[in-house]
Amino acid sequence: MSIAILLLTLTLGAYFIAVIEGWAVHGRFSLTRPALSAVALFGRESLLARTPDRLFFEAAPVLLLVAGLLAVAVIPLAPGLIIADLATGALFLNAALAYVLVALIMAGWGPNGGYAMIGGWRFLGQFIAYAMLIVMPITAVAMRAESLSTTMIVTSQADLWNVFYQPLGFVLFVLAAMGLAWLPPLDLPNAPGDLAGGVEAEYTGVRLAVLRLARMVIILALAGAIVTFYLGGWLGPWLPGWAWSVIKMLVVTTVMLTTGRLVPRVREADLLAAGWKLGIPLALANIFLVGVIALVVDI
Amino acid sequence: MTGSVWELFFLVFFGLAAIWFGIVVFRTHSMVRSALALLFSQTAIGAMFMVMQAEFLGVLQIMMMATEMSVMALFMVMFMMDPGGMGAMEMSHQKRLSLRAGGVGLLAALAVSWLADWGPAAASIPDASRQVELLGIELLGRSMFIFESAGLTILTSMIAATMVAIAPRKPGGGT
Repeated sequence: MSIAILLLTLTLGAYFIAVIEGWAVHGRFSLTRPALSAVALFGRESLLARTPDRLFFEAAPVLLLVAGLLAVAVIPLAPGLIIADLATGALFLNAALAYVLVALIMAGWGPNGGYAMIGGWRFLGQFIAYAMLIVMPITAVAMRAESLSTTMIVTSQADLWNVFYQPLGFVLFVLAAMGLAWLPPLDLPNAPGDLAGGVEAEYTGVRLAVLRLARMVIILALAGAIVTFYLGGWLGPWLPGWAWSVIKMLVVTTVMLTTGRLVPRVREADLLAAGWKLGIPLALANIFLVGVIALVVDI
Repeated sequence: MTGSVWELFFLVFFGLAAIWFGIVVFRTHSMVRSALALLFSQTAIGAMFMVMQAEFLGVLQIMMMATEMSVMALFMVMFMMDPGGMGAMEMSHQKRLSLRAGGVGLLAALAVSWLADWGPAAASIPDASRQVELLGIELLGRSMFIFESAGLTILTSMIAATMVAIAPRKPGGGT
């Protein structure tokens, strides 16, 4: 029963993310647009580039979807409403999302196209900039919870949400999450306007539909991760737990999809410099501060 | 005992997958395919850890290899003349030497697995959260010195390699 609820939530969540993204990109809020685009994509011919690396080309969208689904599996919506309550959940989330990188490199390399390949390798550079900023804030979150289990992380925030306990880690994690989901202004791998679609450039029809769906699932997983790690997960007054999770995830998704569009796209070199010269020292400072607070104050 | 039968099945399955991807590393001509085959071979080993209920080690292995092998793929593409394998570049070198070295390695591994005294099999495995805790205590206790010195060695060699790789700047402007 709970698996059915979770699958339904997952499907609806991915759909709503597509609705919100359509709203953010085209400025029109339409509940039917993603369904119509999906039908259109399924009806269209799925072209194959000349002399592709067929295996990579076919496997990449599927691997991306699997990575997203595995990441969603450790996000709790309410006590007991989780697909896999692993003891190493927070680390598992990282492990699953690391394969987003592998999938995008495969998607870039596979179709034998210049724009796609540049997009794929660009994402590897972007990964080097954001990867540590995903892992290090999670370290501080796990330090407070004294556990890597995602449900334990939520219950550790009963008195005070982590967004107030470690605001620095929250900001770094949200920025890194936007890098991971290649959302503007960190949309270097597909870069509409300068790479002609990048990793998506050679994908059409059904394959493109799977690729886009996978990205929605990844955004959903990241919104879930932000809510679980920093915004108290299912905790909240009056409403049932799952409702709080859903509301928080929708708000986080909307913020992630809309605010980034207000700033220009970041250059790869600037992103790497910012990540390593500013981001990592700040993340280390965050770990140190959280350690001191955890030892001194009893919250 | 159906659980252990399934465990054995998946252990063998992922073990064979690891070996198969290891063979693919040398059978393909494409650098990127080669690197990613190595990645999936290591991922299969991570899955073997998971089957053997070493959850933390398995997840860590699966996570680390994805990033390491992708970076390696980038370097292979950067330094090789024929990264896509379109020119059917020969991937193996010094065949006779590597065959002998591989044979010696195989014999050594078999000898260790047969001759070593493995001690009695563990009767019970602590649950995953306890494993994480035990590993943390181990890393911050007895094994701390080894890990710290290994980390420092790697950091030093990375800085040294970067220093060597930077082209010296010519006096009077320009690089």
